[in-house]
Amino acid sequence: MRLFVSGLRKLVRRPASWVTLGMLVGLLALILIAVGGTANERVNATREAAAKSLITFPEAYDRILQFITGLGGLFAVIYGAAIAGSEWGWGTLKSAVARGESRVKYMLISYVSVAVMIGVGLLITFAVGVLAAIFAAHLANVSTSGLGDSATLGGLPERLLKGWFAVVEEGALGFTIATLARSQLAGIGVGIAFYFGESFATIVLPDIVKYLPFSVANAALATTSTSTGGGGIFAANTDVLSPDQALLLVGVWLIGALVVAAVFSDRAEITG
Amino acid sequence: MSGTAGLALATRGLRKNYGSRHALDGLNLSVPMGVVYGFLGPNGAGKTTTMRVLTGLVHSDGGTVEVLGKPFKRGDRHRLFDVGALVESPTFYPYLSARANLRELAASGAHVPSKRIEELLDLVGLCDRANDKVQGYSMGMKQRLGIAAALLSDPKLLLLDEPANGLDPAGIVAMRDTLRALASQGKTVFISSHLLAEVQVMADVVGIVAAGKLVREGPLKELLSMQGVVKVRVRPNLVDSAIKSLQPLAAADRLIESDREEGWLAVHVSADRAEDVNQQLAGAGIFASGLESGTDLEMLFLELTGGQAVGGEGTFVGLGAPANGSATTGKETAA
Ligand SMILES: Nc1ncnc2c1ncn2[C@@H]1O[C@H](COP(=O)(O)OP(=O)(O)OP(=O)(O)O)[C@@H](O)[C@H]1O
Ligand SMILES: [Mg+2]
Repeated sequence: MRLFVSGLRKLVRRPASWVTLGMLVGLLALILIAVGGTANERVNATREAAAKSLITFPEAYDRILQFITGLGGLFAVIYGAAIAGSEWGWGTLKSAVARGESRVKYMLISYVSVAVMIGVGLLITFAVGVLAAIFAAHLANVSTSGLGDSATLGGLPERLLKGWFAVVEEGALGFTIATLARSQLAGIGVGIAFYFGESFATIVLPDIVKYLPFSVANAALATTSTSTGGGGIFAANTDVLSPDQALLLVGVWLIGALVVAAVFSDRAEITG
Repeated sequence: MSGTAGLALATRGLRKNYGSRHALDGLNLSVPMGVVYGFLGPNGAGKTTTMRVLTGLVHSDGGTVEVLGKPFKRGDRHRLFDVGALVESPTFYPYLSARANLRELAASGAHVPSKRIEELLDLVGLCDRANDKVQGYSMGMKQRLGIAAALLSDPKLLLLDEPANGLDPAGIVAMRDTLRALASQGKTVFISSHLLAEVQVMADVVGIVAAGKLVREGPLKELLSMQGVVKVRVRPNLVDSAIKSLQPLAAADRLIESDREEGWLAVHVSADRAEDVNQQLAGAGIFASGLESGTDLEMLFLELTGGQAVGGEGTFVGLGAPANGSATTGKETAA
């Protein structure tokens, strides 16, 4: 408990936490407002419909959430990698281990704190996204009467929980990569490479990629009509897994990543 | 383990390899309780590696370790609750203040009462800057904070790897006083350092390592009494006759002419025999223009770790260290 509270305190005070969140929130708000501002200027009717679905409630709730797991996944990878990498790079893990702390416990609890921060970030991003979408809807003269759609609102907590779970899995990937690399920069670099690598691979290896961590994170949130697949924004629409299968695989990847990070931390020689 | 009763720290046959390099090659340390133990050795001798093994940061490839009277093996991390350590360089979250860093560090390992943090900030003289981010700290300030961090859980055994790095003179004196005070409370301080003069005034026991092995260990006083030296300066053209006249006082290999400073001779006899040396020279009609006596950890160190170029043949060998070594104590100079 001491470690967990301390882990949270460290993250709350860390500028990287708020910079990462600020960038994601800013990007989402910007895109939504840009969509609202230009929705009626599109010549192509299908494109116009697609753009408007982002700012038309109740569909917009889900679209925003999917946007967060897609692009937010990239931010989560970077964030997870930054947190784990700095423990090695700054040598703060060394100090804790020399005080007799369990390496496995220390690293896993660090990640639990990251997961909590991801949850907070997800809620904030989602709230800002909804506000931005309402504003954008006004810009585009789209009705916001669907805002209070009770069926959608009722399912929202579960959707948010699933979204959180998916982003937490993506963050764990970055966390583990940086642990293996023992470095913030290397961890972030390789994490980003994985994210985009998976996206690009969707085009050539869709059958395999659909089982990979970023794809399953997206698929876990997909609704039958709107599936993004692949590593988020580049994704081609392939025959994705069912949301339940995907959710299961999200759990497998999450646990797998954390086990690797724990085992590596336990075995590693800390010579920094 | 045999013969380790009453020791705060004992290693027997400790080995550690990094790849094919033997960093520790059968190290046997015996650190008694309640002393300041100076852990000395040239660069790359294995001091930091020893500290890493003792704090569970790396795992040894052989041998045994006892910490505070109990075996310390892989998985015995709770033993470290009674140990405080500063290994190689202090480490912190740069975006947190000194106070916050200590608080977050205290969340790991043994429980630390929160007033302890204020005491320590005061002890290391960082109270005024305790709320500043560590990234803005000078090297010596970080080192001070590192020492505070090592003391966090009021450890029975303190492991400090070159803690004086970057400390200003006042900081070094304060650290010395603190460590002596800890030893007088029955705590054990195991400190590696290259500042031999500092170790000489601070340590009760020293261990000297070279190439991953212990080459000498014992109470400082004993080691130094065997390492007494009287240095005497005569006119360069009289060196040969001076050597001849001093031969009754010291064995051949204990009478050494400096190859650095003309006219200086080092006579390895107990440091309190400066008068005898002077008298002997005077008896031969040679008058010294300089006379110093003392015991010199630096000389012992260089001799044991190969810093001294020992010729080994003939009566006289070159002296690698300057004849008037800076670590000399009890200096007296005669005209
Ligand atoms: N992480 C590492 N990887 C490979 N070799 C290492 C590593 N750390 C130390 N060594 C080697 O182990 C040996 C002992 O190094 P160590 O750092 O223990 O020396 P030291 O006595 O602390 O030296 P110094 O006085 O310079 O601090 C050296 O030969 C060094 O090159
Ligand atoms: Mg060292």
